Amino acid sequence: MTTLKRKVTVAAIAALTVASVGLAPMANSADKPMAKKAMAAKPAVPPLGPLPAVPVPADNPMTPEKVELGKMLFWDSRLGGDASSPCVVCHEPGKGWGDGGEISRGYPGTQHWRNSQTVLNAAFYNKLFWEGNVTSLEAQAPAAAEGNVAGNGDRSLMEMRLRFIPEYVERFKKVFGTEWPRMTHAYMAIAAFERTLVSDPKQVPFDRYMAGDKKALSESAQRGMAVFNGKGGCIQCHNGPLASDQRFYSLGVPENEVFKTDPLYQITHRWEHYQKGISEKGYRGADLDHGYYYVTKNPKDIGKFRTPSLRELKYTAPFMHNGIFYTLDEVVDFYNKGGGTTGPNKSPLIKPLGLSDQEKKDLVAFLEALSMDKPLLMDPPKLPPYQPLKTAK
Amino acid sequence: MKPRNVKRLALAAALAGLVSAGNAADLAPLPEPKFNAAMAEMGKYLFFDERLSGDAALSCATCHNPQKGWSDGLPLSKAYPASEYFRNSPTILNAGFKKRFMWDGRLDGSDAGTLVRDMITEAHTMNMDARLMQERLKQVPEYNEMWLKFRKDDINGMRVFNVVGEFFKSIVSKNAPIDKFLKGDQSALNSTQREGYELFKGKANCVSCHNGPLGSDGNLHRTGVPENPEVTKDPLRHITMARHYSTSGLPNYMNTHEDVGFQAISKNPKDKGKFATPSIRDLKYTAPYMHNGMFRTLDEVVEFYSKGGGAGSELKPLNLSDYEKRALVAFLLEGLSGDPVIVEKPKLPAYKVRAFGKN
Repeated sequence: MTTLKRKVTVAAIAALTVASVGLAPMANSADKPMAKKAMAAKPAVPPLGPLPAVPVPADNPMTPEKVELGKMLFWDSRLGGDASSPCVVCHEPGKGWGDGGEISRGYPGTQHWRNSQTVLNAAFYNKLFWEGNVTSLEAQAPAAAEGNVAGNGDRSLMEMRLRFIPEYVERFKKVFGTEWPRMTHAYMAIAAFERTLVSDPKQVPFDRYMAGDKKALSESAQRGMAVFNGKGGCIQCHNGPLASDQRFYSLGVPENEVFKTDPLYQITHRWEHYQKGISEKGYRGADLDHGYYYVTKNPKDIGKFRTPSLRELKYTAPFMHNGIFYTLDEVVDFYNKGGGTTGPNKSPLIKPLGLSDQEKKDLVAFLEALSMDKPLLMDPPKLPPYQPLKTAK
Repeated sequence: MKPRNVKRLALAAALAGLVSAGNAADLAPLPEPKFNAAMAEMGKYLFFDERLSGDAALSCATCHNPQKGWSDGLPLSKAYPASEYFRNSPTILNAGFKKRFMWDGRLDGSDAGTLVRDMITEAHTMNMDARLMQERLKQVPEYNEMWLKFRKDDINGMRVFNVVGEFFKSIVSKNAPIDKFLKGDQSALNSTQREGYELFKGKANCVSCHNGPLGSDGNLHRTGVPENPEVTKDPLRHITMARHYSTSGLPNYMNTHEDVGFQAISKNPKDKGKFATPSIRDLKYTAPYMHNGMFRTLDEVVEFYSKGGGAGSELKPLNLSDYEKRALVAFLLEGLSGDPVIVEKPKLPAYKVRAFGKN
């Protein structure tokens, strides 16, 4: 618990530093009019482009054995409280490695409160979860497996479960050199597996196009790319290979009605405020997902969420932090109208765009071209059984 | 008075107490339970409410079922889904008078709220986050009303555990023959039971540990009860035991494959195999017996003690005759058991939608 708190604090400080350094120039540039000439004068944002090689942390190198172990653990329900909530339940290959719901299903007896994000290309984020509260896949895995409305697993109990599965004991020994499996290593293996879940550029029309295949994008998608980079202004935040600047913005996305109508969502909403360390006044009046504010506790961050990647959107509906939009048409309409009105701190970058119907269609065509031709599916691994421990002395 | 004299007096008093307790150890009538009635009333609902467990699958009553002597009738208790437990579920009957809770005696009997916290939040029992529990209860209007009967704030924090604790203290058995007998009604025990009682205090000397109102000295003893082989045969039970050792900080826990009892708490090898003396009231309703449910009947229990217990036992053989064993069992089974205490599961109030943002 103490370690966890310390990690969160460190993450919060890190995030604060990044935010204060990173957001300053954006805020200045946003004061300027959005006309094309002004856009050109703005500090350049990194263009969309092919994904680079996956970044691998020096302290968790990839090996085939580690990835294979991580895949097994990703599917293994014994990581979780009551063996009903392995990673894969909310990150299903057949549902774009999310769970297909507006708001993630959550642990039995509870409801989660945000949309389950795809694991695809998550390896490229250095801020994970919608509020960016962790900075690595190694830290994301325990937060999900042990979070009370997610996996609700107890770390020491899950660790002991692994130790009673002889095949895991052998595999952990080979990969990590320990006599007995350890949960920190389990999370490292899961992270290594997740680093293999990336878009294949040969399958992504946009990536093929950028590699020289000019037929890879339809005429409509090519026009959409121009809207994306120009009139739509999408590129301001959705930039770089991942199509995310990994910064935090408030768009005024409408709240999901379930928080007003369903007791289970209300319970989680209050609990999140309680356990994230909000003041009593904030807890008692909580009627909004404050997003990044929970990390920084800075009122200027209320309602901000980390820009998500736009890759693989074809497979990851519904969209936004609360799954409020089911189609990309709805999302584009939302931006075209200049975003929503929910909550404070709305980004000055979000303004009515005045896109024509054709431009909207073109933009959606382009967004779809950022996804692979076929979804990345995967068969479940065969999981090894528990065995009695050899107790002979 | 000089401090030294105070110390001497205290020592003398302590010694006198020991001696007199040694001579006069006996069973005693159950005192009247003390508890807050309004809290206990709400606690009754919470005791039966599955929403107090992580996945809303089980309640306190799952392993402490009033229909099964406020236990679960199993040798080894079940546990949270995907786990199994490695010890017997003790009855809640009269448990509010205990000096220690848990078979390894690790919790203080004067603090029922902490026992409840341990059971509700522990991963292998109810696996509930206490903050989430608070928010679930606040989503039930009837619970908010019940709370206001004993407090002026809203449902919050550790206090919820104390509410269940007050209910726990209210579960007391009545009309045990021994209580009437001790108050002077000779006819309350029949002649066989009276002989059993004499053996209990005399030749069998059960009373040396099983004394006071509960028939328990509240201490830890080693009687050498055989290990329950199911614990290491079933990986799920072994996992729970090994993880209990690891979180308790027991050295060499991956190579400890028997139930070491109090040693896991004290870390003193001399405490290996010591368990808290259980109450011997209401045994009629609480089979099977011992910390690991190894004995199905009191005949087996008495037989075990007659032989002086098992390996490493602190006890000596009693060499009881068959008749003496029967008399002792008759006393234990009927003489010490009260009327059944049945509390029906109340109709649990449902979650209701609240005004959003008015928390």
